[in-house]
Amino acid sequence: MSIDHWMLFGTFAQQNYFEYPVRGTYCGTIINANMAAHAPAGLAAFLLEKTANTRYIIDPLTHAFQHAPEAICNDAGELKSSVRSLAEEYGEPVSSIVGTKPLLPSAFEDESVVHHFSERCVSFQCNQLTSYMKQSDAAKYLDDSDIAPPYAVIAPYFFMTETTLSDWLRVNIACAEHVASRRGDLESKVFAAVVVDQGILLDESYLLKIAEAYASISGIEGVLLWVDSLDEQDASGAALKALLRLARGLRQSEREVVNLHGGYFSVLAAGAPGDRALTGVTHGPEFGEFRGVVPVGGGIPIARYYIPDLHARIRYADALRFLRAQGWLDNAELFQENVCDCEVCVGVLREGAENFVQFGESNVKRVKRRSGLVRIAYPTKAAKELCLKHYLQRKRREYVAASEATANVLLEDLIHGASKYEDVTGLEGVEHLRLWHRVLKESGSSDS
Amino acid sequence: MRAFVINKNCRHFETEQEVVSGVVQLLKNAGYRIRIEVPSLGQSADMVATRSRWVTFIEAKTRDWRKALTQCEAHKNVADYIAVAVATVNPPTALLDIANERGYGVIHCQPRSGRTDWLLTPRRNDELWRPQRLELSKALRNIDYEH
Repeated sequence: MSIDHWMLFGTFAQQNYFEYPVRGTYCGTIINANMAAHAPAGLAAFLLEKTANTRYIIDPLTHAFQHAPEAICNDAGELKSSVRSLAEEYGEPVSSIVGTKPLLPSAFEDESVVHHFSERCVSFQCNQLTSYMKQSDAAKYLDDSDIAPPYAVIAPYFFMTETTLSDWLRVNIACAEHVASRRGDLESKVFAAVVVDQGILLDESYLLKIAEAYASISGIEGVLLWVDSLDEQDASGAALKALLRLARGLRQSEREVVNLHGGYFSVLAAGAPGDRALTGVTHGPEFGEFRGVVPVGGGIPIARYYIPDLHARIRYADALRFLRAQGWLDNAELFQENVCDCEVCVGVLREGAENFVQFGESNVKRVKRRSGLVRIAYPTKAAKELCLKHYLQRKRREYVAASEATANVLLEDLIHGASKYEDVTGLEGVEHLRLWHRVLKESGSSDS
Repeated sequence: MRAFVINKNCRHFETEQEVVSGVVQLLKNAGYRIRIEVPSLGQSADMVATRSRWVTFIEAKTRDWRKALTQCEAHKNVADYIAVAVATVNPPTALLDIANERGYGVIHCQPRSGRTDWLLTPRRNDELWRPQRLELSKALRNIDYEH
Protein backbone atom coordinates (compact mmCIF):
# COMPACT_ATOMS: atom_id res chain seq x y z
CA MET A 1 0.00 0.00 0.00
CA SER A 2 1.44 3.36 -0.98
CA ILE A 3 2.36 6.06 1.50
CA ASP A 4 0.86 9.46 0.79
CA HIS A 5 3.73 11.77 -0.10
CA TRP A 6 2.71 15.36 0.60
CA MET A 7 4.85 18.40 -0.07
CA LEU A 8 4.60 21.74 1.71
CA PHE A 9 4.53 24.87 -0.37
CA GLY A 10 7.24 27.22 0.81
CA THR A 11 8.04 29.92 -1.71
CA PHE A 12 7.18 30.60 -5.33
CA ALA A 13 10.85 30.15 -6.17
CA GLN A 14 10.38 26.44 -5.53
CA GLN A 15 7.13 25.98 -7.41
CA ASN A 16 8.75 24.06 -10.25
CA TYR A 17 9.62 21.17 -7.97
CA PHE A 18 6.13 19.97 -7.22
CA GLU A 19 6.24 17.54 -10.10
CA TYR A 20 9.85 16.60 -9.62
CA PRO A 21 11.47 14.13 -10.19
CA VAL A 22 8.44 12.82 -12.08
CA ARG A 23 4.84 13.83 -12.50
CA GLY A 24 2.77 12.18 -9.82
CA THR A 25 5.56 11.99 -7.24
CA TYR A 26 3.42 13.80 -4.68
CA CYS A 27 -0.09 12.90 -3.73
CA GLY A 28 -0.69 16.55 -2.91
CA THR A 29 0.45 19.95 -1.77
CA ILE A 30 -0.10 21.59 1.58
CA ILE A 31 -0.42 25.36 1.54
CA ASN A 32 -0.38 27.63 4.57
CA ALA A 33 -3.53 29.70 4.86
CA ASN A 34 -1.65 32.96 5.37
CA MET A 35 -0.08 32.51 1.95
CA ALA A 36 -3.47 31.66 0.47
CA ALA A 37 -4.83 34.89 1.97
CA HIS A 38 -1.89 36.97 0.84
CA ALA A 39 -1.14 35.65 -2.66
CA PRO A 40 -4.26 33.80 -3.83
CA ALA A 41 -3.84 34.52 -7.55
CA GLY A 42 -0.28 33.23 -7.59
CA LEU A 43 -1.22 30.12 -5.65
CA ALA A 44 -4.23 29.47 -7.86
CA ALA A 45 -1.99 29.65 -10.93
CA PHE A 46 0.57 27.43 -9.19
CA LEU A 47 -2.04 24.77 -8.45
CA LEU A 48 -3.42 24.82 -11.98
CA GLU A 49 -0.16 25.00 -13.86
CA LYS A 50 2.45 23.34 -11.66
CA THR A 51 0.58 20.62 -9.83
CA ALA A 52 -2.05 19.49 -12.31
CA ASN A 53 -4.19 16.67 -11.02
CA THR A 54 -2.71 16.61 -7.55
CA ARG A 55 -4.64 17.29 -4.39
CA TYR A 56 -4.15 20.24 -2.10
CA ILE A 57 -4.97 21.11 1.45
CA ILE A 58 -4.96 24.57 3.01
CA ASP A 59 -3.59 24.48 6.54
CA PRO A 60 -5.83 27.09 8.23
CA LEU A 61 -2.99 28.08 10.58
CA THR A 62 -5.45 29.15 13.25
CA HIS A 63 -2.85 28.53 15.93
CA ALA A 64 -1.05 31.68 14.70
CA PHE A 65 -3.48 33.82 16.69
CA GLN A 66 -2.93 32.16 20.05
CA HIS A 67 0.73 33.11 20.40
CA ALA A 68 2.21 36.30 21.76
CA PRO A 69 1.97 38.97 19.03
CA GLU A 70 5.76 38.98 18.54
CA ALA A 71 5.49 35.51 17.05
CA ILE A 72 3.50 36.85 14.11
CA CYS A 73 5.36 40.12 13.61
CA ASN A 74 8.16 40.83 11.18
CA ASP A 75 11.66 41.99 12.10
CA ALA A 76 10.41 45.58 12.28
CA GLY A 77 7.87 44.55 14.91
CA GLU A 78 4.88 45.00 12.61
CA LEU A 79 2.17 42.41 12.19
CA LYS A 80 2.89 40.28 9.13
CA SER A 81 0.58 41.42 6.37
CA SER A 82 -0.26 37.84 5.41
CA VAL A 83 -1.47 37.12 8.97
CA ARG A 84 -3.49 40.34 8.98
CA SER A 85 -5.15 39.29 5.71
CA LEU A 86 -5.94 35.90 7.20
CA ALA A 87 -7.45 37.44 10.34
CA GLU A 88 -9.72 39.57 8.18
CA GLU A 89 -10.88 36.45 6.37
CA TYR A 90 -11.66 34.63 9.62
CA GLY A 91 -13.31 37.57 11.40
CA GLU A 92 -13.99 37.40 15.12
CA PRO A 93 -12.71 36.47 17.60
CA VAL A 94 -9.35 36.98 15.89
CA SER A 95 -9.68 40.06 13.69
CA SER A 96 -10.00 42.56 16.53
CA ILE A 97 -7.07 41.29 18.59
CA VAL A 98 -4.55 40.08 16.02
CA GLY A 99 -1.16 41.63 16.57
CA THR A 100 -2.17 43.20 19.88
CA LYS A 101 -2.94 40.30 22.19
CA PRO A 102 -3.05 36.51 22.05
CA LEU A 103 -6.26 34.60 21.48
CA LEU A 104 -7.38 32.70 24.60
CA PRO A 105 -9.61 29.63 24.91
CA SER A 106 -12.15 31.74 26.78
CA ALA A 107 -12.94 33.51 23.51
CA PHE A 108 -14.73 30.33 22.44
CA GLU A 109 -16.97 29.87 25.47
CA ASP A 110 -19.98 30.93 23.50
CA GLU A 111 -21.00 28.15 21.12
CA SER A 112 -22.00 30.64 18.46
CA VAL A 113 -18.39 31.89 18.31
CA VAL A 114 -17.19 28.33 17.64
CA HIS A 115 -19.75 27.93 14.87
CA HIS A 116 -19.13 31.31 13.29
CA PHE A 117 -15.34 31.00 13.38
CA SER A 118 -15.40 27.41 12.08
CA GLU A 119 -17.73 28.39 9.23
CA ARG A 120 -15.49 31.27 8.11
CA CYS A 121 -12.44 29.04 8.36
CA VAL A 122 -14.05 26.28 6.27
CA SER A 123 -15.44 28.75 3.77
CA PHE A 124 -12.00 30.27 3.30
CA GLN A 125 -10.45 26.87 2.60
CA CYS A 126 -13.20 25.84 0.20
CA ASN A 127 -13.47 29.09 -1.76
CA GLN A 128 -10.35 31.19 -1.53
CA LEU A 129 -8.22 29.41 -4.11
CA THR A 130 -11.01 27.89 -6.20
CA SER A 131 -12.47 31.34 -6.87
CA TYR A 132 -9.08 32.61 -8.04
CA MET A 133 -8.58 29.46 -10.10
CA LYS A 134 -11.84 30.12 -11.92
CA GLN A 135 -10.71 33.68 -12.73
CA SER A 136 -7.23 32.66 -13.90
CA ASP A 137 -6.04 32.60 -17.50
CA ALA A 138 -5.42 28.88 -17.28
CA ALA A 139 -9.11 28.32 -16.47
CA LYS A 140 -10.07 29.27 -20.04
CA TYR A 141 -8.79 25.91 -21.16
CA LEU A 142 -10.34 23.91 -18.34
CA ASP A 143 -13.75 22.54 -17.46
CA ASP A 144 -15.26 23.58 -14.14
CA SER A 145 -14.75 20.02 -12.98
CA ASP A 146 -10.98 20.48 -13.39
CA ILE A 147 -11.04 23.13 -10.69
CA ALA A 148 -11.12 21.00 -7.61
CA PRO A 149 -11.91 21.97 -4.05
CA PRO A 150 -9.33 21.08 -1.39
CA TYR A 151 -8.83 17.38 -0.76
CA ALA A 152 -9.81 18.03 2.84
CA VAL A 153 -10.85 20.98 4.96
CA ILE A 154 -9.13 21.29 8.31
CA ALA A 155 -11.15 22.27 11.33
CA PRO A 156 -9.76 25.24 13.27
CA TYR A 157 -7.09 24.05 15.65
CA PHE A 158 -4.84 25.36 18.38
CA PHE A 159 -1.48 24.26 19.74
CA MET A 160 -1.66 22.21 22.93
CA THR A 161 1.03 21.97 25.61
CA GLU A 162 1.03 20.03 28.88
CA THR A 163 -0.35 23.04 30.71
CA THR A 164 -2.85 24.20 28.10
CA LEU A 165 -4.11 20.81 26.93
CA SER A 166 -7.38 20.85 28.84
CA ASP A 167 -8.34 24.34 27.73
CA TRP A 168 -7.39 24.10 24.07
CA LEU A 169 -8.49 20.48 23.58
CA ARG A 170 -12.01 21.53 24.52
CA VAL A 171 -11.93 24.28 21.87
CA ASN A 172 -10.30 22.04 19.26
CA ILE A 173 -12.91 19.34 19.76
CA ALA A 174 -15.77 21.84 19.62
CA CYS A 175 -14.46 23.23 16.31
CA ALA A 176 -13.85 19.74 14.90
CA GLU A 177 -17.33 18.59 15.91
CA HIS A 178 -18.89 21.57 14.20
CA VAL A 179 -16.96 21.07 10.96
CA ALA A 180 -17.64 17.32 11.04
CA SER A 181 -21.34 18.07 11.33
CA ARG A 182 -21.08 19.90 8.01
CA ARG A 183 -19.51 16.92 6.21
CA GLY A 184 -22.58 16.25 4.12
CA ASP A 185 -22.52 19.78 2.66
CA LEU A 186 -18.88 19.74 1.70
CA GLU A 187 -17.16 18.40 -1.40
CA SER A 188 -13.97 17.91 0.60
CA LYS A 189 -13.11 15.45 3.33
CA VAL A 190 -13.11 16.74 6.89
CA PHE A 191 -9.83 16.59 8.79
CA ALA A 192 -8.81 17.73 12.25
CA ALA A 193 -5.32 18.87 13.18
CA VAL A 194 -3.54 17.75 16.32
CA VAL A 195 -0.63 20.03 17.14
CA VAL A 196 1.17 19.35 20.40
CA ASP A 197 4.42 20.04 22.15
CA GLN A 198 6.91 17.31 22.97
CA GLY A 199 5.99 17.30 26.67
CA ILE A 200 2.59 15.87 25.80
CA LEU A 201 4.22 12.96 24.02
CA LEU A 202 5.85 11.73 27.18
CA ASP A 203 2.71 11.34 29.23
CA GLU A 204 0.59 8.35 28.31
CA SER A 205 -2.51 9.87 29.90
CA TYR A 206 -2.31 12.91 27.62
CA LEU A 207 -1.99 10.71 24.55
CA LEU A 208 -5.00 8.68 25.57
CA LYS A 209 -7.01 11.79 26.32
CA ILE A 210 -6.29 13.25 22.89
CA ALA A 211 -6.90 9.99 21.01
CA GLU A 212 -10.19 9.37 22.83
CA ALA A 213 -11.38 12.91 22.30
CA TYR A 214 -10.90 12.74 18.53
CA ALA A 215 -12.18 9.16 18.30
CA SER A 216 -15.48 10.38 19.66
CA ILE A 217 -16.10 12.61 16.60
CA SER A 218 -17.69 10.46 13.95
CA GLY A 219 -17.42 12.76 10.93
CA ILE A 220 -13.65 13.23 11.01
CA GLU A 221 -11.99 11.38 8.15
CA GLY A 222 -8.38 12.33 8.78
CA VAL A 223 -5.94 14.11 11.03
CA LEU A 224 -2.92 16.30 10.38
CA LEU A 225 -0.41 15.59 13.14
CA TRP A 226 2.37 18.00 14.10
CA VAL A 227 4.67 17.67 17.09
CA ASP A 228 6.43 20.96 17.77
CA SER A 229 10.11 20.88 16.70
CA LEU A 230 10.35 17.10 16.76
CA ASP A 231 13.56 16.45 14.87
CA GLU A 232 13.49 12.70 14.36
CA GLN A 233 17.27 12.59 14.08
CA ASP A 234 17.71 14.08 17.56
CA ALA A 235 14.59 12.73 19.24
CA SER A 236 14.74 10.27 22.12
CA GLY A 237 13.45 6.74 21.75
CA ALA A 238 10.68 7.57 24.21
CA ALA A 239 9.52 10.50 22.07
CA LEU A 240 9.55 8.43 18.88
CA LYS A 241 7.61 5.60 20.54
CA ALA A 242 5.09 8.13 21.82
CA LEU A 243 4.76 9.60 18.33
CA LEU A 244 3.84 6.13 17.09
CA ARG A 245 1.35 5.65 19.94
CA LEU A 246 -0.29 9.00 19.26
CA ALA A 247 -0.50 8.33 15.53
CA ARG A 248 -2.01 4.89 16.14
CA GLY A 249 -4.45 6.34 18.61
CA LEU A 250 -5.62 8.81 16.01
CA ARG A 251 -5.78 6.18 13.25
CA GLN A 252 -8.87 4.59 14.80
CA SER A 253 -11.53 3.62 12.29
CA GLU A 254 -8.97 3.77 9.49
CA ARG A 255 -8.74 7.52 9.55
CA GLU A 256 -5.98 9.07 7.51
CA VAL A 257 -3.20 10.41 9.69
CA VAL A 258 -0.62 12.61 7.99
CA ASN A 259 2.47 13.84 9.78
CA LEU A 260 2.66 17.48 8.74
CA HIS A 261 6.44 17.65 9.29
CA GLY A 262 8.12 14.29 9.14
CA GLY A 263 11.38 12.66 8.11
CA TYR A 264 12.39 9.13 7.22
CA PHE A 265 11.34 7.74 10.61
CA SER A 266 7.78 8.86 9.86
CA VAL A 267 8.02 7.40 6.36
CA LEU A 268 8.98 4.05 7.90
CA ALA A 269 6.18 4.46 10.44
CA ALA A 270 3.80 4.80 7.50
CA GLY A 271 5.17 1.61 5.96
CA ALA A 272 5.41 -1.95 7.18
CA PRO A 273 7.96 -1.24 9.96
CA GLY A 274 5.48 1.05 11.71
CA ASP A 275 2.47 -1.06 10.80
CA ARG A 276 1.04 1.95 8.94
CA ALA A 277 0.77 4.12 12.03
CA LEU A 278 0.59 7.02 9.58
CA THR A 279 -0.98 7.14 6.14
CA GLY A 280 1.13 9.98 4.85
CA VAL A 281 4.07 12.22 5.58
CA THR A 282 4.73 15.80 4.51
CA HIS A 283 8.00 17.60 3.99
CA GLY A 284 9.00 20.74 2.18
CA PRO A 285 11.47 21.20 -0.61
CA GLU A 286 14.60 20.56 1.45
CA PHE A 287 13.08 21.83 4.69
CA GLY A 288 10.16 21.00 6.88
CA GLU A 289 11.06 17.53 8.16
CA PHE A 290 10.55 19.20 11.53
CA ARG A 291 9.37 22.65 12.44
CA GLY A 292 8.65 24.77 15.45
CA VAL A 293 5.08 25.92 15.95
CA VAL A 294 6.19 29.45 16.61
CA PRO A 295 7.96 30.79 13.54
CA VAL A 296 11.62 31.44 14.03
CA GLY A 297 14.06 33.37 11.87
CA GLY A 298 15.28 31.93 8.61
CA GLY A 299 18.98 31.85 9.40
CA ILE A 300 21.72 31.54 6.84
CA PRO A 301 21.08 28.93 4.15
CA ILE A 302 23.77 26.29 4.30
CA ALA A 303 24.35 23.90 1.42
CA ARG A 304 23.50 20.45 2.64
CA TYR A 305 23.93 17.20 0.82
CA TYR A 306 21.42 14.46 1.61
CA ILE A 307 23.38 11.29 2.37
CA PRO A 308 20.97 8.52 1.42
CA ASP A 309 22.24 5.86 3.82
CA LEU A 310 22.13 8.31 6.72
CA HIS A 311 18.70 9.63 5.66
CA ALA A 312 19.97 13.03 6.68
CA ARG A 313 20.89 16.36 5.16
CA ILE A 314 24.52 16.89 6.04
CA ARG A 315 26.49 20.13 5.86
CA TYR A 316 28.53 20.06 2.69
CA ALA A 317 31.86 20.26 4.58
CA ASP A 318 30.94 17.22 6.69
CA ALA A 319 29.60 15.26 3.72
CA LEU A 320 32.85 15.95 1.90
CA ARG A 321 34.87 14.76 4.89
CA PHE A 322 32.85 11.56 5.27
CA LEU A 323 32.90 10.66 1.60
CA ARG A 324 36.58 11.43 1.14
CA ALA A 325 37.52 9.44 4.23
CA GLN A 326 35.78 6.42 2.75
CA GLY A 327 37.44 6.91 -0.62
CA TRP A 328 34.08 7.27 -2.36
CA LEU A 329 35.11 10.47 -4.09
CA ASP A 330 38.10 8.77 -5.71
CA ASN A 331 36.05 8.20 -8.84
CA ALA A 332 32.47 8.48 -10.06
CA GLU A 333 31.88 4.72 -10.14
CA LEU A 334 32.77 4.33 -6.47
CA PHE A 335 30.52 7.26 -5.65
CA GLN A 336 27.55 5.82 -7.50
CA GLU A 337 28.09 2.38 -6.03
CA ASN A 338 28.45 3.57 -2.44
CA VAL A 339 26.74 6.93 -2.10
CA CYS A 340 24.13 7.80 -4.70
CA ASP A 341 23.17 6.86 -8.23
CA CYS A 342 20.25 9.25 -8.65
CA GLU A 343 20.08 11.04 -11.97
CA VAL A 344 21.29 14.32 -10.44
CA CYS A 345 24.42 12.77 -8.94
CA VAL A 346 25.11 10.72 -12.06
CA GLY A 347 24.81 13.88 -14.15
CA VAL A 348 26.98 16.02 -11.89
CA LEU A 349 29.72 13.44 -11.53
CA ARG A 350 29.68 12.32 -15.17
CA GLU A 351 32.86 14.28 -15.92
CA GLY A 352 34.54 13.11 -12.72
CA ALA A 353 34.06 12.80 -8.96
CA GLU A 354 35.73 16.18 -8.47
CA ASN A 355 32.48 17.73 -9.66
CA PHE A 356 31.03 16.92 -6.25
CA VAL A 357 32.24 20.45 -5.37
CA GLN A 358 29.21 21.72 -7.30
CA PHE A 359 27.01 20.74 -4.35
CA GLY A 360 28.98 23.13 -2.13
CA GLU A 361 29.61 26.11 -4.41
CA SER A 362 29.15 29.43 -2.66
CA ASN A 363 29.51 33.16 -3.15
CA VAL A 364 31.09 35.37 -0.54
CA LYS A 365 29.11 38.42 0.54
CA ARG A 366 29.70 41.03 3.20
CA VAL A 367 26.87 41.13 5.69
CA LYS A 368 26.21 43.55 8.52
CA ARG A 369 26.32 41.95 11.95
CA ARG A 370 26.46 43.31 15.47
CA SER A 371 30.24 43.00 15.35
CA GLY A 372 30.39 44.93 12.06
CA LEU A 373 30.70 43.75 8.48
CA VAL A 374 31.54 40.07 8.17
CA ARG A 375 32.02 37.84 5.17
CA ILE A 376 29.60 34.98 4.78
CA ALA A 377 29.56 32.33 2.08
CA TYR A 378 26.09 31.78 0.64
CA PRO A 379 25.39 28.74 -1.51
CA THR A 380 25.01 29.64 -5.15
CA LYS A 381 21.64 29.26 -6.83
CA ALA A 382 23.06 26.37 -8.83
CA ALA A 383 24.33 24.60 -5.69
CA LYS A 384 20.99 25.03 -3.92
CA GLU A 385 19.18 23.65 -6.93
CA LEU A 386 21.46 20.61 -7.16
CA CYS A 387 21.11 19.86 -3.44
CA LEU A 388 17.33 20.24 -3.69
CA LYS A 389 16.94 18.06 -6.78
CA HIS A 390 19.14 15.35 -5.29
CA TYR A 391 17.12 15.51 -2.05
CA LEU A 392 13.81 15.19 -3.88
CA GLN A 393 15.11 12.27 -5.94
CA ARG A 394 16.08 10.44 -2.78
CA LYS A 395 12.89 11.29 -0.91
CA ARG A 396 10.85 9.80 -3.72
CA ARG A 397 12.89 6.59 -3.54
CA GLU A 398 12.38 6.48 0.23
CA TYR A 399 8.60 6.74 -0.03
CA VAL A 400 8.42 4.16 -2.80
CA ALA A 401 10.73 1.75 -0.96
CA ALA A 402 8.87 2.14 2.33
CA SER A 403 5.59 1.49 0.52
CA GLU A 404 6.79 -1.69 -1.12
CA ALA A 405 9.52 -3.34 0.94
CA THR A 406 9.05 -5.60 3.92
CA ALA A 407 9.69 -4.40 7.45
CA ASN A 408 12.77 -6.59 7.76
CA VAL A 409 14.37 -5.23 4.62
CA LEU A 410 13.74 -1.63 5.63
CA LEU A 411 14.94 -2.13 9.18
CA GLU A 412 18.08 -3.99 8.13
CA ASP A 413 18.81 -1.14 5.73
CA LEU A 414 19.03 1.20 8.74
CA ILE A 415 21.64 -0.99 10.39
CA HIS A 416 23.52 -1.31 7.12
CA GLY A 417 23.64 2.49 6.81
CA ALA A 418 24.91 2.85 10.38
CA SER A 419 27.64 0.27 9.87
CA LYS A 420 28.67 1.86 6.61
CA TYR A 421 29.23 5.33 8.07
CA GLU A 422 30.11 4.91 11.74
CA ASP A 423 33.85 4.74 11.04
CA VAL A 424 33.80 8.30 9.74
CA THR A 425 30.88 9.89 11.58
CA GLY A 426 31.43 8.30 14.96
CA LEU A 427 28.60 6.51 16.73
CA GLU A 428 26.74 9.75 17.38
CA GLY A 429 26.54 10.41 13.65
CA VAL A 430 24.58 7.21 13.06
CA GLU A 431 22.82 6.68 16.38
CA HIS A 432 19.52 7.91 14.97
CA LEU A 433 19.49 4.96 12.56
CA ARG A 434 20.03 2.40 15.31
CA LEU A 435 17.46 4.14 17.50
CA TRP A 436 14.84 4.15 14.72
CA HIS A 437 15.57 0.45 14.17
CA ARG A 438 15.09 -0.33 17.85
CA VAL A 439 11.95 1.77 18.26
CA LEU A 440 10.26 0.35 15.18
CA LYS A 441 11.31 -3.20 16.03
CA GLU A 442 10.03 -2.92 19.61
CA SER A 443 6.82 -1.23 18.60
CA GLY A 444 6.03 -4.18 16.40
CA SER A 445 4.97 -4.59 12.81
CA SER A 446 2.54 -6.88 11.08
CA ASP A 447 5.04 -7.84 8.42
CA SER A 448 8.39 -9.19 9.43
CA MET B 1 65.80 57.64 43.57
CA ARG B 2 62.70 56.96 41.53
CA ALA B 3 61.23 53.43 41.63
CA PHE B 4 60.51 51.78 38.29
CA VAL B 5 57.06 50.18 38.58
CA ILE B 6 56.02 47.36 36.34
CA ASN B 7 52.28 47.19 35.79
CA LYS B 8 51.63 43.49 36.20
CA ASN B 9 48.07 43.90 35.03
CA CYS B 10 49.09 45.07 31.56
CA ARG B 11 47.89 42.38 29.13
CA HIS B 12 48.06 41.99 25.42
CA PHE B 13 45.87 39.84 23.18
CA GLU B 14 42.72 40.09 25.26
CA THR B 15 40.46 39.68 22.23
CA GLU B 16 40.66 37.43 19.21
CA GLN B 17 40.97 40.53 17.03
CA GLU B 18 44.13 41.45 18.92
CA VAL B 19 45.46 37.95 18.46
CA VAL B 20 44.73 38.19 14.74
CA SER B 21 46.54 41.53 14.54
CA GLY B 22 49.59 40.07 16.28
CA VAL B 23 49.67 37.05 14.00
CA VAL B 24 49.19 39.18 10.89
CA GLN B 25 52.26 41.20 11.87
CA LEU B 26 54.29 38.05 12.51
CA LEU B 27 53.38 36.52 9.17
CA LYS B 28 53.73 39.77 7.26
CA ASN B 29 57.29 40.06 8.53
CA ALA B 30 57.90 36.52 7.26
CA GLY B 31 56.75 37.47 3.74
CA TYR B 32 53.19 36.18 3.83
CA ARG B 33 50.17 38.01 2.46
CA ILE B 34 47.15 37.62 4.69
CA ARG B 35 43.43 37.71 4.30
CA ILE B 36 41.17 37.58 7.34
CA GLU B 37 37.69 36.12 7.87
CA VAL B 38 37.78 33.88 4.84
CA PRO B 39 34.63 31.83 4.29
CA SER B 40 35.41 28.23 3.45
CA LEU B 41 33.20 25.18 3.53
CA GLY B 42 30.45 26.82 5.51
CA GLN B 43 32.67 28.33 8.18
CA SER B 44 34.94 31.33 8.42
CA ALA B 45 38.70 30.94 8.79
CA ASP B 46 40.28 33.67 10.94
CA MET B 47 43.28 34.06 8.65
CA VAL B 48 44.47 32.67 5.35
CA ALA B 49 48.13 33.42 4.67
CA THR B 50 49.66 32.86 1.27
CA ARG B 51 53.31 32.77 0.29
CA SER B 52 54.22 31.72 -3.24
CA ARG B 53 51.80 28.87 -4.02
CA TRP B 54 51.36 27.70 -0.45
CA VAL B 55 48.22 28.43 1.52
CA THR B 56 48.17 28.38 5.34
CA PHE B 57 44.96 28.52 7.38
CA ILE B 58 45.22 29.90 10.89
CA GLU B 59 42.57 29.88 13.62
CA ALA B 60 43.03 32.32 16.50
CA LYS B 61 41.80 31.76 20.04
CA THR B 62 42.11 33.52 23.37
CA ARG B 63 40.53 30.49 25.03
CA ASP B 64 38.72 27.30 23.98
CA TRP B 65 41.53 26.19 21.68
CA ARG B 66 39.79 22.82 21.26
CA LYS B 67 37.15 24.56 19.18
CA ALA B 68 39.92 25.76 16.89
CA LEU B 69 41.02 22.16 16.36
CA THR B 70 37.49 21.25 15.26
CA GLN B 71 37.46 24.17 12.83
CA CYS B 72 40.82 23.02 11.46
CA GLU B 73 39.36 19.66 10.41
CA ALA B 74 37.47 21.21 7.49
CA HIS B 75 40.55 23.19 6.45
CA LYS B 76 42.27 19.92 5.57
CA ASN B 77 40.31 19.92 2.32
CA VAL B 78 41.82 23.19 1.16
CA ALA B 79 44.97 24.17 3.08
CA ASP B 80 48.62 23.26 2.52
CA TYR B 81 49.38 24.14 6.13
CA ILE B 82 47.17 24.62 9.17
CA ALA B 83 47.95 26.41 12.42
CA VAL B 84 46.33 27.54 15.66
CA ALA B 85 47.25 30.79 17.37
CA VAL B 86 46.64 30.93 21.14
CA ALA B 87 46.97 33.75 23.64
CA THR B 88 47.51 31.98 26.94
CA VAL B 89 50.23 32.72 29.48
CA ASN B 90 51.59 29.22 29.05
CA PRO B 91 50.90 27.33 25.85
CA PRO B 92 48.68 24.34 26.70
CA THR B 93 50.66 21.13 26.61
CA ALA B 94 47.65 19.21 25.34
CA LEU B 95 47.33 21.58 22.40
CA LEU B 96 50.99 21.12 21.53
CA ASP B 97 50.65 17.34 21.70
CA ILE B 98 47.51 17.20 19.55
CA ALA B 99 48.81 19.75 17.07
CA ASN B 100 52.06 17.86 16.74
CA GLU B 101 50.18 14.62 16.16
CA ARG B 102 47.97 16.20 13.49
CA GLY B 103 50.67 18.26 11.83
CA TYR B 104 49.22 21.63 12.79
CA GLY B 105 51.41 24.57 13.67
CA VAL B 106 51.05 26.52 16.92
CA ILE B 107 51.66 30.26 17.25
CA HIS B 108 51.93 31.56 20.79
CA CYS B 109 50.80 35.09 21.55
CA GLN B 110 52.25 35.94 24.95
CA PRO B 111 49.75 38.11 26.85
CA ARG B 112 52.35 39.61 29.20
CA SER B 113 55.10 40.50 26.78
CA GLY B 114 53.01 40.95 23.66
CA ARG B 115 55.45 38.69 21.74
CA THR B 116 54.22 36.41 18.99
CA ASP B 117 56.25 33.34 18.04
CA TRP B 118 55.95 30.03 16.28
CA LEU B 119 56.11 27.25 18.86
CA LEU B 120 55.47 24.50 16.37
CA THR B 121 55.81 24.79 12.63
CA PRO B 122 53.08 23.02 10.66
CA ARG B 123 53.73 19.99 8.50
CA ARG B 124 52.47 19.87 4.95
CA ASN B 125 48.85 18.65 4.85
CA ASP B 126 48.54 15.65 2.57
CA GLU B 127 44.73 15.48 2.73
CA LEU B 128 44.12 18.50 0.49
CA TRP B 129 41.45 17.90 -2.16
CA ARG B 130 42.41 19.67 -5.36
CA PRO B 131 38.85 20.40 -6.62
CA GLN B 132 37.94 22.10 -3.34
CA ARG B 133 41.20 24.06 -3.38
CA LEU B 134 40.27 25.43 -6.80
CA GLU B 135 36.97 26.64 -5.31
CA LEU B 136 38.90 28.36 -2.52
CA SER B 137 41.22 30.01 -5.03
CA LYS B 138 38.21 31.43 -6.85
CA ALA B 139 36.77 32.79 -3.60
CA LEU B 140 40.10 34.30 -2.50
CA ARG B 141 40.23 36.44 -5.63
CA ASN B 142 37.27 38.40 -4.29
CA ILE B 143 38.80 39.05 -0.86
CA ASP B 144 41.31 41.84 -0.30
CA TYR B 145 44.53 41.37 1.60
CA GLU B 146 44.62 42.71 5.13
CA HIS B 147 47.74 44.76 4.45
